[in-house]
Amino acid sequence: MATQYVIGIDLGTTNCVLAYAPLVSDVPEVRLLDIPQLVAAGTIESRQSLPSFLYLASPHETTGGALDLPWATGQTFAVGEYARRQGAEVPDRTVVAAKSWLCHSRVDRHQPILPWGAPGEVSKISPVTATQRYLEHLLGAWRAAMPDAPIAQQRVVLTVPASFDAAARELTREAALAAGLPDDFVLLEEPQAAVYAWLAAPGERWRRDLGVGDRLLVCDVGGGTTDLTLVGVTEEAGELQLQRIAVGNHLLVGGDNMDLALAHFVAGLFAEQGMQLDPWQSVALWHSCRAAKEALLAPADSTQSRATHPVSVLGRGRKLIGGTVTVEVERQAVSDLLMEGFFPRSRIDELPARQRVSGFREIGLPFEADTAVTRHLAAFLGAHAGEADQEAVRPSHVLFNGGVFKAEPFRRRLLDVLGEWFGAGEDAPRALAGEHDLDCAAAKGAAYYGWAKQAGGVRIRGGTARAYYVGIETAGLAVPGAPRPLRALCVVPFGMEEGTEADVPGGEIGLVVGEPAHFRFFSSPTRKEDRPGDMLAHWSPDELAETDPLEATLPLDEAIDEPYVPVTFRSRITELGVFELWCVSTQSNKQWKLEFSVREEGQGAE
Amino acid sequence: MRRIWLAIRVFFLVLFRREVAEAVEAALEGRAAPPRAPVAPAEVQTPKGPAPAKAPQRSEALTLLAALQREARFVDFVEEPLDDYTDAQVGAAARDVHRNCRAVLQRLFAPQPLLGDAEGSEVEVPRGFDPGRYRLVGQVTGEPPFRGRLAHPGWEAAKCDVPSWSGGKSAVKVIAPAEVEL
Repeated sequence: MATQYVIGIDLGTTNCVLAYAPLVSDVPEVRLLDIPQLVAAGTIESRQSLPSFLYLASPHETTGGALDLPWATGQTFAVGEYARRQGAEVPDRTVVAAKSWLCHSRVDRHQPILPWGAPGEVSKISPVTATQRYLEHLLGAWRAAMPDAPIAQQRVVLTVPASFDAAARELTREAALAAGLPDDFVLLEEPQAAVYAWLAAPGERWRRDLGVGDRLLVCDVGGGTTDLTLVGVTEEAGELQLQRIAVGNHLLVGGDNMDLALAHFVAGLFAEQGMQLDPWQSVALWHSCRAAKEALLAPADSTQSRATHPVSVLGRGRKLIGGTVTVEVERQAVSDLLMEGFFPRSRIDELPARQRVSGFREIGLPFEADTAVTRHLAAFLGAHAGEADQEAVRPSHVLFNGGVFKAEPFRRRLLDVLGEWFGAGEDAPRALAGEHDLDCAAAKGAAYYGWAKQAGGVRIRGGTARAYYVGIETAGLAVPGAPRPLRALCVVPFGMEEGTEADVPGGEIGLVVGEPAHFRFFSSPTRKEDRPGDMLAHWSPDELAETDPLEATLPLDEAIDEPYVPVTFRSRITELGVFELWCVSTQSNKQWKLEFSVREEGQGAE
Repeated sequence: MRRIWLAIRVFFLVLFRREVAEAVEAALEGRAAPPRAPVAPAEVQTPKGPAPAKAPQRSEALTLLAALQREARFVDFVEEPLDDYTDAQVGAAARDVHRNCRAVLQRLFAPQPLLGDAEGSEVEVPRGFDPGRYRLVGQVTGEPPFRGRLAHPGWEAAKCDVPSWSGGKSAVKVIAPAEVEL
């Protein structure tokens, strides 16, 4: 049976969406798949998105198939809306933000560590397994809806944050294959997928809206993370080309931070009136604030809205009205809190505040100490300034993505700030015209990308978003108490294209036979000039970030007399965007693949 | 031959089953059969083996009520006597209940106005209209098409996606489970 559909999957930190399009059609017809899921015990409802939460039920709750799905019986856990609801009231049994753990190199992501900090009685699962469960659910929904189009024969595009490094991509891949995705599925960066969703609009509109030299900033603020990407417009043989120029770091700040900040603020207002909220009420308040956020952000000066807006927490139990508590919240205060907290009018040279490092930092997720998206944006634009730019790269257009930007005041503020940085009026960076589906753009764009790949639509060229380096200890006299100086050998240059490989000149090293060899591994989103074989002796901590180490073992039974084998490196980016690093013997032509050893704690990670 | 057999069947069915008798009477008088739940024809009732153990079913109406209670506290709100509360107290709770009820209705039914015309504008009720789609009030005389003022544009569900339920026998009529904090 031939491939019928291209399937785009957005595996979000807080929500998953699946879009699909028939492969053989003249125009892309992208649709969303409704995903049946538990919304309460024993109750199945189809929703457009699958919340990325996993509830590990106690054995007493699974009797009678309370967690069964149309395609799976005897379930001991729940994924989706029910799990999200449980997450608020039974946090010890609910896995949240597995995706953020996936790229957190300070923990072993194959170990059952989630829910983080759960008591021993709960049978925890690993971030990789949680990711696998979400994908299995999506695939189950697909099989139920499309019995005549087996997943293994469809073309699948899975989105990952642009800021995911090679190790996090590899782990995502591992989870996806375990869940049953076809071997040849493709990874696509989320902000690029959002651009594809915009490109999918009929009539080649983008050729009118963008011109040579334009630079498009994709600002994606989702529930848990912020992802920044810059796409440039160039010309080649008279045709406009899109080129991904830069991606930002993985920033753990998003809409959930805003809801929580707002809830905290409103809880303070309740406290001023002498009302202390219990844990259940606090959860309810969080939901109320999420729902009221947009109403609260409506400009206070507009004539139809009052200066205050009520926020209520309904009474628990059957005494709903009697138990309801309410405060009037000043719109101005909310605007100050959220605008100044998350989108302040900062200067372009103002960098995010760093967390003061205490000796006893908890391992948990490395949430951003500075929640100001604008300051992170300034740092991103500054880091990628080219020679033509003054101090920061100047975007000409902005594409918003992520649920946070449903609130129009945030979009306007971000454009205002960019206007202050780069000149207002005609020159100011402006938002891309057109309809934007802020929640589903990534999945839809992924499906469109798969279709365009076949049908010959426009593609964004990019290659790797980072340069990669292997740490090499320099030979020399050992100094007691001091580590040997470390150098970084560039093995993958920035922008290395899919389907290419590079032999790394120089850097010949000896691999000991029969023992695992470890290599420290670094990446840089900003060093764009380094070529394979370049050896760095110094770098600033901002430039190179250490990720998971690599490891290879030369089997003992090789016909090798020497105790060690001299090798050089060869790097490869497969057609599917998978990074591979090989050690090649300089004597025979044998080669050994280096694997990420994510089982170990990232050594020396800051 | 077929018609003889049919006549014999009809004779016995009219004799023993009231709903068939009514339908035949209606057919003889040339009017449509009264609308009612479709009745399985007699021959379907041939005895089969023991029915497989089926999961208990329940009315979609209860599942809808459970959804409104779960997401919007609808039953709590309506069941609570209002006598002891001020309008401000009721209003404070109603705002949240209203918002969440609407979210449920939008998601499950996506109600749309039946007619796109503005309230108060003049509309035409076509010849052969479906009385399920138009309710005529005031002085109803003459033959359609009628012209009149649109008092209410009506509502129509764009979809009907009530959740499906699969629970145990003792939970068939449960709208909301008892919550116990441990």
